[in-house]
Amino acid sequence: MGHFTEEDKATITSLWGKVNVEDAGGETLGRLLVVYPWTQRFFDSFGNLSSASAIMGNPKVKAHGKKVLTSLGDAIKHLDDLKGTFAQLSELHCDKLHVDPENFRLLGNVLVTVLAIHFGKEFTPEVQASWQKMVTAVASALSSRYH
Amino acid sequence: MLSAQERAHIAQVWDLIAGHEAQFGAELLLRLFTVYPSTKVYFPHLSACQDATQLLSHGQRMLAAVGAAVRHMDNLRAALSPLADLHALVLRVDPANFPLLIQCFHVVLASHLQDEFTVQMQAAWDKFLTGVAVVLTEKYR
Repeated sequence: MGHFTEEDKATITSLWGKVNVEDAGGETLGRLLVVYPWTQRFFDSFGNLSSASAIMGNPKVKAHGKKVLTSLGDAIKHLDDLKGTFAQLSELHCDKLHVDPENFRLLGNVLVTVLAIHFGKEFTPEVQASWQKMVTAVASALSSRYH
Repeated sequence: MLSAQERAHIAQVWDLIAGHEAQFGAELLLRLFTVYPSTKVYFPHLSACQDATQLLSHGQRMLAAVGAAVRHMDNLRAALSPLADLHALVLRVDPANFPLLIQCFHVVLASHLQDEFTVQMQAAWDKFLTGVAVVLTEKYR
């Protein structure tokens, strides 16, 4: 899954270099929880998730979003071995966190929309294509150790 | 079921698209074909030459249908019945493709509206388009 051309890698890396991981992380996780409210099932301990503004302003959401995107950022340095890079996290999400891999696909799609918001016209169809490839590959790698 | 707030957000989004249906629609199709190449099988002539005029024309048609759906949010089934027949009997687009189109729709909106594309608008619009997709594929069997 996910064979990246040199162009894909360049696109992904250069765009990521301009992303504020903290802001984007909070935005991405927040939007996931608002647009797909059933994903809130994993975050009972996060406190107030009662409204869109509560979710978007929730400090635990922001912190966790940053954590998730930081991990993604690390993976960008290993695009040719995402399965290896995410092996442990995959086991964690299966054995301890019990997260349906469908959630990885949803999060990936939301991240793409957040990038589109941030980059506007620069987020061309070709750039979107590279990034959708990226998030699909990450979702696949994260579900690869499920059993 | 759409809440009053959701309806307002959906109308808000449409107000930002209205008047630019052709342009939005063309970009939507271009993104669909670029990001999800398998979808091109449903648009053989359109996707092969990617002629700007044809993309604009077909994009306009698709977005006009979305506009009709917006105007009849409370009765999608009746308003989209002819289109539902078309998709069931003629087009037969596999239902798995609609989420791909919806994702591209969000990206078109996001890249044009940027910060104006609030989380509430995204949530309402996703719910709405998903509802449209359900209606369009409802008569398949």
